[in-house]
Amino acid sequence: MDAVISGNLIDLCVVAMLLLSMLAMTTTRIAQLLNAFAVQSLFLTFLAFVVADSTGHSGLYVMGAIAFAVKVIGIPWAMKNTAVRLHAGREVDSVMGIPGSLLISAALIIVAYLVTEPLMATVETITRNCLAMSMSVILIGLFMMVTRRKAMTEAVGLLMMENGLFLGIMSISYGMPLVVEIGIFFDVLMVVVIIGIFALRISKAFDSIDTSVLRRLKE
Amino acid sequence: MTCAILPLAQAILMIALSPLFAGILKKAKARMQHRVGSGVFQPYRDIAKLLRKNETVSEDASWLFRFIPYVCFGSMVLLSMMTPFILADVAAPYGGLISMVYIFTLYRFMMVLGGLEGGSVFGGMGSSREMMMSVLIEPALLLSLMALAGLTGGSTVTSDIPRTLIDMGVIVLAPALVLAASSFFITLLAENARVPFDNPSTHLELTMVHEGMLIEYSGRGLGLMELSSMMRIMIFASMLGALFFPWGVALTSSPADLAVGLAAILLKILTITLAIAVIESYLAKYRLFRLPNLLTASFALSLLAMISLYIL
Repeated sequence: MDAVISGNLIDLCVVAMLLLSMLAMTTTRIAQLLNAFAVQSLFLTFLAFVVADSTGHSGLYVMGAIAFAVKVIGIPWAMKNTAVRLHAGREVDSVMGIPGSLLISAALIIVAYLVTEPLMATVETITRNCLAMSMSVILIGLFMMVTRRKAMTEAVGLLMMENGLFLGIMSISYGMPLVVEIGIFFDVLMVVVIIGIFALRISKAFDSIDTSVLRRLKE
Repeated sequence: MTCAILPLAQAILMIALSPLFAGILKKAKARMQHRVGSGVFQPYRDIAKLLRKNETVSEDASWLFRFIPYVCFGSMVLLSMMTPFILADVAAPYGGLISMVYIFTLYRFMMVLGGLEGGSVFGGMGSSREMMMSVLIEPALLLSLMALAGLTGGSTVTSDIPRTLIDMGVIVLAPALVLAASSFFITLLAENARVPFDNPSTHLELTMVHEGMLIEYSGRGLGLMELSSMMRIMIFASMLGALFFPWGVALTSSPADLAVGLAAILLKILTITLAIAVIESYLAKYRLFRLPNLLTASFALSLLAMISLYIL
């Protein structure tokens, strides 16, 4: 593939991932949030294929395929099922309003850029530009975990952070050995299962999966 | 000599065409809602009739009230000389992106004053809502244009931008352009009082913003205000079509290039008009307090466009 076009495609995928992180900050519905995560993972898959095609690292094809199966199809489906079974309600409630959280996300992107700028000069991959973007996706995921109240949406924040980590790995070293990758995917799957069970427990004990009611334990 | 005639010809062309696109927009909306709708030339007849009528002015209004429609129309004529339409460098050294943003602001400020002048409750409400929105629109609009200028290497002269973008070739399809263009499209809807922000076809609800400010106008003043708001959407559409996606804009003034340029810009404006019609048919007007969410999203998009220029 032409280097300019593949460079454009890589940039487009990365920016789309970051955009979906910010979109996830603005959604007010659980289904939308999970869809945003699924589409973000789809762009990650596509990015893995483009990088694999333009650098010849065929291991990335396998990783992209696993990411597609696990993150685009498996996890969103499982979490939607859990949300329905928990009667979690369709609304997502955030501690902060949408404009405020969007502006803080934008500030986090600038922080990520300032932090990664010295690092980017030392890396020599075609995807090194993505490092700042991956750091932003990680920080926004963390921010989502901090500001959201329900266990389900906090889990989505964690999964988005994981997407950012995957992107970061890809941007500095074209991916880790396959065994390690498979281990990470298995971990993520386990996290979803554990969060599902955990959310079920919380909802049984408190009739809600709002994590702020967990403070009642102190009484 | 040409440097005086060309911008003037372009302004006249844009004044002449803007009611047509307003008519097409209304017709497309009507067809999508399974109505027959009025003909595409109806806005011409409306405006011709309004311009022939006398004005009725509220007795609370001062001289400013009669003066405002001319200022608004004048600022739109000025803007239509500055934006690239068929030809890239029509107003060669004078068209600046920043001055364009602030002429739009002048227009909005005058309209807000006009809404307050009449002394009616609806005008006051419309004006206060418009100012609330304008606080959020302006940074998004300015930042999306700045991202565009950054992409072309820092020039804010409107006539340089199409040429530079075309010269850059395929590399210009960077995320910054797409993000800035989508942010600009959201501000287009907000600035022109289109559906998620305002309902352009209402005169009865308590929710009106743009129409609320025009409610005291009648006759010639109303005709000029209506014509300027039609021109405003046309100018925004041609900025989106000729600055953000300049392919097809004539770079030289040879007849063949001009023909291609005319066809390209009309096609682009038609596409944008139909996109607005689709959005207006599928979305309902947002609650007033949900508008900051969408406008902040637009701001975030253009900020992201700006940042991606540095990062990528």
